Amino acid sequence: MFVFGALLVLTMATVGVSYLRLPDAPAVVIGISIALTKAALVAMYFMHLKGEKPMVYWPLGLTAFLFVGLIAGLLLSEGDHLFGTQFGDAFTRD
Amino acid sequence: MEIPYTSEVRPDTGLTNPKLGIWLFLASEVMLFGSLFSSYVLLRSGAPTWPVQHEVLSVPLAALNTVVLIASSVTMVMAWASLAPHTAAVTRGDNVAEGNALKRYRLFMGLTLLGGAIFLVVKAIEYVDKFSHHLYPATNNFLGLYFTLTGLHALHVIVGMIVNAYLWGPGTRMWRSQPERFANRIEVVGIYWHFVDVVWIFLFPVLYLL
Repeated sequence: MFVFGALLVLTMATVGVSYLRLPDAPAVVIGISIALTKAALVAMYFMHLKGEKPMVYWPLGLTAFLFVGLIAGLLLSEGDHLFGTQFGDAFTRD
Repeated sequence: MEIPYTSEVRPDTGLTNPKLGIWLFLASEVMLFGSLFSSYVLLRSGAPTWPVQHEVLSVPLAALNTVVLIASSVTMVMAWASLAPHTAAVTRGDNVAEGNALKRYRLFMGLTLLGGAIFLVVKAIEYVDKFSHHLYPATNNFLGLYFTLTGLHALHVIVGMIVNAYLWGPGTRMWRSQPERFANRIEVVGIYWHFVDVVWIFLFPVLYLL
């Protein structure tokens, strides 16, 4: 129930922050941070990862590694426009 | 032949096979959704212009759906918690404990199914609204990604509901014959259901808010 409450509060927070219409870079950082926190709460408590046997962490760790590789590989090979410009410009809305 | 290690822990992994299996499956799911998320980052960052997402989509409807899906995750946990502490009693042949636990389980699993159904109805309302404004997957890159990501996610909700519906109805026979195995099944489908929730937790800010 505590986790449920925390998830609801974080949902309201992320919607609330979006109405502030912050510049893109901080908006992305805050939005994704809140999503990561919510995902961690769900994984730890609902999916019983807290106190789970070490063997579960192996596929998870591998997945996290490959996931980062997937994103980084794609962006490094195809994302020249990202690295020729500043982060803020790359996420500019029209 | 009996399927091995459905309820007893396999000594070398320290887990039951279904538990390890569902996590391996979710690992592949992370890569599936991950490839689409990275496509989103690449296409959006490289686009000269991008629609203002919260003006195209409905933030209130998506926020409602976020709450609905989180609530259905909570009821899924309660469904499992209705069964798990009573497996030993059911194995001993305690009919009262068996019946009471099953009743509570059915209530919470039913609510989980209801949550999934409400989510899909709201999603359908959003889709119909987009179509009525002539906004289709082919309209622009953003809508292409929106329909692909939310469509794939909705497909996961539908699959989860089919499995949950089976375990709400005919699947409950196992609760009497193999209570521990049945409780493990609920835990494992629960882990899948929570994963679908986690995907939505990321889709919501990425597609609607940012």
